[in-house]
Amino acid sequence: MTLLSLEHISKAYAGVPALRDATLSIAAGEIHALMGENGAGKSTLIKILAGVVAPDTASIRIDGSEVGIDSPATAYRLGFRFIHQELNVVPALSVAENIFLGRAYPLRAGVLIDWARLNRVAGDALRKLGIGHIDPGERMARLSLGDQMLVRISSAFLSEAGAPARLYVMDEPTAALTREESARLFAVLREIRASGNSVLYVSHRLDEVMALCDKATVLRDGRTIDTGRIADITHDDLVALMIGRRVEEAYPRPITAPSSEIALAVEGVAGEGLAATSFSVRKGEILGIAGLSGSGQRHLLRLLSGDLPVKTGRLLLDGRPHRPRGPAASWSAGVAYVPRERRSEGLVVSRPIYQNITLPHLGTQSLGGTWLTPRRERRFAVQMGNDVKLRAVGPNQRALELSGGNQQKVVFAKALSGAPRLLLLDEPTRGVDIGAKFDIYSIIRDMAAKGMAVILVSSDLAELLGMCDRIAIMRDGAITEIADAAGLAEDDLLNRCYGRNPSTAEAA
Amino acid sequence: MLNFARRYGTLIGFVLILVLFSARLPDTFMTARNWLNITQQLSMLMVVAAGMTIVMVMGDFDLSVGSMASLSGIVAALLFTLGYPIWLALGLALLVGLAGGLFNGVLVALTGILPFVATLATLTMFSGAAFVVSGGKTISGRAIPEAFGNFARDGVALGPVTLPNLTILAAVVVLVVFVLLEQTTFGRRLYAIGGNIEAAHLSGVKVRRLKLIAYALTGFAAALGGLMYASRVASANPTQGSGLMLNAIAAVFLGMTMSEQGEPRILATVIGVLIIGVLDNGLTQMSVDSYVRQILVGAIIVLAVAASSISKSSRR
Repeated sequence: MTLLSLEHISKAYAGVPALRDATLSIAAGEIHALMGENGAGKSTLIKILAGVVAPDTASIRIDGSEVGIDSPATAYRLGFRFIHQELNVVPALSVAENIFLGRAYPLRAGVLIDWARLNRVAGDALRKLGIGHIDPGERMARLSLGDQMLVRISSAFLSEAGAPARLYVMDEPTAALTREESARLFAVLREIRASGNSVLYVSHRLDEVMALCDKATVLRDGRTIDTGRIADITHDDLVALMIGRRVEEAYPRPITAPSSEIALAVEGVAGEGLAATSFSVRKGEILGIAGLSGSGQRHLLRLLSGDLPVKTGRLLLDGRPHRPRGPAASWSAGVAYVPRERRSEGLVVSRPIYQNITLPHLGTQSLGGTWLTPRRERRFAVQMGNDVKLRAVGPNQRALELSGGNQQKVVFAKALSGAPRLLLLDEPTRGVDIGAKFDIYSIIRDMAAKGMAVILVSSDLAELLGMCDRIAIMRDGAITEIADAAGLAEDDLLNRCYGRNPSTAEAA
Repeated sequence: MLNFARRYGTLIGFVLILVLFSARLPDTFMTARNWLNITQQLSMLMVVAAGMTIVMVMGDFDLSVGSMASLSGIVAALLFTLGYPIWLALGLALLVGLAGGLFNGVLVALTGILPFVATLATLTMFSGAAFVVSGGKTISGRAIPEAFGNFARDGVALGPVTLPNLTILAAVVVLVVFVLLEQTTFGRRLYAIGGNIEAAHLSGVKVRRLKLIAYALTGFAAALGGLMYASRVASANPTQGSGLMLNAIAAVFLGMTMSEQGEPRILATVIGVLIIGVLDNGLTQMSVDSYVRQILVGAIIVLAVAASSISKSSRR
């Protein structure tokens, strides 16, 4: 039985079509995947469902009868619940208050907030997700990012009278979750399915979609390309539908072997969030950093990039001591950093592409370090943009108008502009669509082939195994071991992240 | 159409104001003499607003510019009475502005105090200092060298008209700030800080150092504006600059309504200053009460900002 059917959905922003006559049909009791590259129209479709964006044309039916969704309140009344990709939380409020964000608080005597009941009901919503370790009275700011996401998700499961939930729409809910947390969420989603309600699930993680969902609808360039049962389709078919061509391999092959020369030596270095650590990276080598989230990967990169100070120990860059007093010193020493959050840390999105690319290199991209030479900068930016296969209108286009993948390419163009000797990458392909992912992997390979040393932090274990020469595992702010990537299996790597090394376990 | 109105609304409003005054004041408004008069009246505000633009590019602001303008006038006048030569007295007064601005920069960039709180505190401090130094009195009369007072009255003859010195000085300051913000790496980095301070920092922009310099420049411009004021009235009193701060911030905001991203730009600030000055001039000529004038100027600022793209982000 069809719960929701969308037909003839079109929407254009300032004349640029985001959706063109798209179609989507979700049955009751089904987990339905919405797939597509960034910019395919998924977000717009979800926003239309949420009543945030008004479609140009649309026919929306629920249980066969036509409805209009003119506001988020209407969407709520129709039984839609949304988990958006961005972490919309109020850090200063409690967990329970965040769960009740935008809902009516339970009241006593009609005016006073019934805090006890608020906390109890919020606790119930958390428990539905099997979460016992988060106290509803705790301040949101004190929670880890993963826990905050869990709180956001649990707000969709708040039991309320009046408007029973029919359809849960989840946009990349697992982006900040660990495997256990994801598994728990999936169990809840399966319960929802069993109870006859439905889920519209958006994720870039194909493995998740293949394991969890019943059906999938693929969007490309705002059109519905195909819709069908997951059981009838292979992983590769799904990728081909999304990007419109077949991908032979997920990761480009290494071009050359790493040199024996050491580019970066880390000798007993400790700093904020980082216990004394020693390792080295050779020229042309890609060193992966694996570990559960919050194990110190970010601190390590922040320290190498000059943002956090080295407290003890020393860094040697090409054999010479390197003690940066800030990011500026690291950039000029040839250390380039691609931070994790490209919009909040990587880019000044309101500024043109070319100004983003030259920002760390203005000392050399100017006359005497003082006078701007915009024409030369633009030429340089176009050339760098071509090197990273950036797709943009031109160097003057503002970064905020680009898709996620192209924004990330701008960050890469910026990092590579000074021909660095050490490239620090923090989750470089997160939220990037498959086509752009392959481009980014190719860039990393090219840079390694040119003799650049690369440190790649990623929570995507397949990515680490596919790209790296060696993989270091971090736990509690320290590197516990460094293994050759060749011959490592994904589950083996995961076990090591948890500190369960099969060989040592047997010995003990 | 709506975008057009958003982007150019302020400019259209400015033109409408000009048309209105030209119609109501046919003989006096659109004359070279009146306009030279307006630019002279505006020159102090122009200089202070130009300095304000520098910190506002970084997303900060400086509430202390008005009391700094008073303080620098007082310092110069006091040094005059002590018999210092003009150039030295003016130099020291400008140095006070630079030092005061640097102090703001230290509070904001090194101590990490919010610009609002930090410059509110220094507003009070500078104002208090001006009273202490002057003993709360106006310094005027023979203590002020004639050459100093004459500077504001004189100008450069240009055919039939005389370009006032103050107007020329303000134009030079605008030009310098324009070059600084639009043509140098310093300005580019300030805009990067204003756009995304974290990304700028991670991209190697030395945020603290630049903030120090920016605040110092704003303080310097405030001091210069104060000296221009003192020259114009050939006297100094500890409160004479206090009206400048709100008008300077208002002028930058009016200017920001003209940029698509809501970024402050120096040439837009010039228009903002002109709007405030022309309104003041025209309404005065139409003998509108000065308090009513204030209400009208405030209403126009609200209108401009409400109609512009600056408010776009807050619409949810």
